[in-house]
Amino acid sequence: MSKESRLRASVNQKLTEMGERERLKELLRAKLTECGWKDQMKANCKAVIKEKGLEHVTVEDLVVDITPKGRALVPDSVKKELLHRIRAFLAQHAT
Amino acid sequence: MTGPASYYLAIKISNTEFQMKMEDMPLSGPDNTRLEALVHDIYSELVEDACLGLCFEVHRAVKQGYFFLDETDQESMKEFEIVDQPGVDIFGQVYNQWKNKECECPNCKRLIAASRFAPHLEKCLGMGRNSSRIANRRLASNNNMSKSESDQEDNDDLNDNDWSYGAEKKAKKRKSDKNQNSPRRSKSLKHKNGELGSSVSSEPYKFNYNTGISYETLGPDEVRSLLTTQCGVISEHTKKMCTRSQRCPQHTDEQRRAVRVFLLGPSAPALPDADAVVESDSFDIPDGQTLMSRLQWEDSPDISPTDSASSKASTNHSDSRRPKKKKRPSLGLNSGGGGGGGGGSGGLAGGSSSSSSSQSNINLSTKKKRPKLSAPSISSIYDDLN
Repeated sequence: MSKESRLRASVNQKLTEMGERERLKELLRAKLTECGWKDQMKANCKAVIKEKGLEHVTVEDLVVDITPKGRALVPDSVKKELLHRIRAFLAQHAT
Repeated sequence: MTGPASYYLAIKISNTEFQMKMEDMPLSGPDNTRLEALVHDIYSELVEDACLGLCFEVHRAVKQGYFFLDETDQESMKEFEIVDQPGVDIFGQVYNQWKNKECECPNCKRLIAASRFAPHLEKCLGMGRNSSRIANRRLASNNNMSKSESDQEDNDDLNDNDWSYGAEKKAKKRKSDKNQNSPRRSKSLKHKNGELGSSVSSEPYKFNYNTGISYETLGPDEVRSLLTTQCGVISEHTKKMCTRSQRCPQHTDEQRRAVRVFLLGPSAPALPDADAVVESDSFDIPDGQTLMSRLQWEDSPDISPTDSASSKASTNHSDSRRPKKKKRPSLGLNSGGGGGGGGGSGGLAGGSSSSSSSQSNINLSTKKKRPKLSAPSISSIYDDLN
């Protein structure tokens, strides 16, 4: 498995070095905002805050609540596009 | 099945549900399952990154106190809530609310569709660039077709629609004949209909084609008015007067002068020096002035040199034309200051001449009522300015 981990490491490195990771991040953020995912999540956050109280809410509270919901609520089209781009990158630059 | 293989199968099934393109098919082969897994891992990382980013953003907003800022005023929140009804945009406004509404035109009292109202008004009132072009065209077509003077409103209807190709071709062809005429000239002629009782444009039977007018059938008034605005040189083979501008290249000033002498007698006043600037100048004048002067149009304005002299700076071209000869109505009412500034040029010096005449309301024969009538209203404006 070290071969695999080496592969992963090299891919990750390439991804970061070539700026592709940043680009993908921005792309994802833009798409999520566009499709309303962000507003949806913000509404969820409001619920959490109201539950825990404005003064005492922590980052952990939010993360614990938002992350699984967020992962699930990403629209299929956005997911498809991202996967496509990652695959394309790998095909182009991986060994 | 082994772990990776089953994983691969699982992926393949889920992927083929919504992945149609070849390039989106998961990579096949055992080696590539790892790549595929890698792809998904990278994807998950990115998504988690986004989620975390959002959490941090929200948390900071909460702690800094600006997270709930948009919810402080419940009333305005209800007022501006997003509307989600059919036929209405998210502000609650109807899209084509004004499309089906009709407005009554104050001029012709017809009901016009709202979206066509502005262009109709432009033509109805005879103001604006297009309306002068159309008046030109109509003049030409009247000359040509010897039908009774077209009803302005009918043509408005025609003109309200986009030009058809054929009409445009016809119009273009005829427009090339008139391209040296100032549009104002034709308009002035057109609007003199009522005053003179008969004018060039209203008597189509006098014209056989649109570049010539038969002088024999015209009365002295019409001849005079024609000669102040148009070239007027009589063509030898057709015996018709040239309807081009005073500056038409086909004829010389000597010819024009000769024609005037011939038609109006030896005392015929000087040939106006048609300065193209004059015509175009009329368009620079504020519309209100133009409209007023046109409404009160009676005859080609005869502007005395003193009038021109006292005109404002924008009309000093009149001054330059003053020394040149100018046609005058030989009514014996030739009020002093003959050979006045080329007010005759297109009689349109519309606003400019009327403004100049306003400054000193002298030298106004009966025929020159137009500048005088428009003068009082305009003089007040300019007095204020001055």
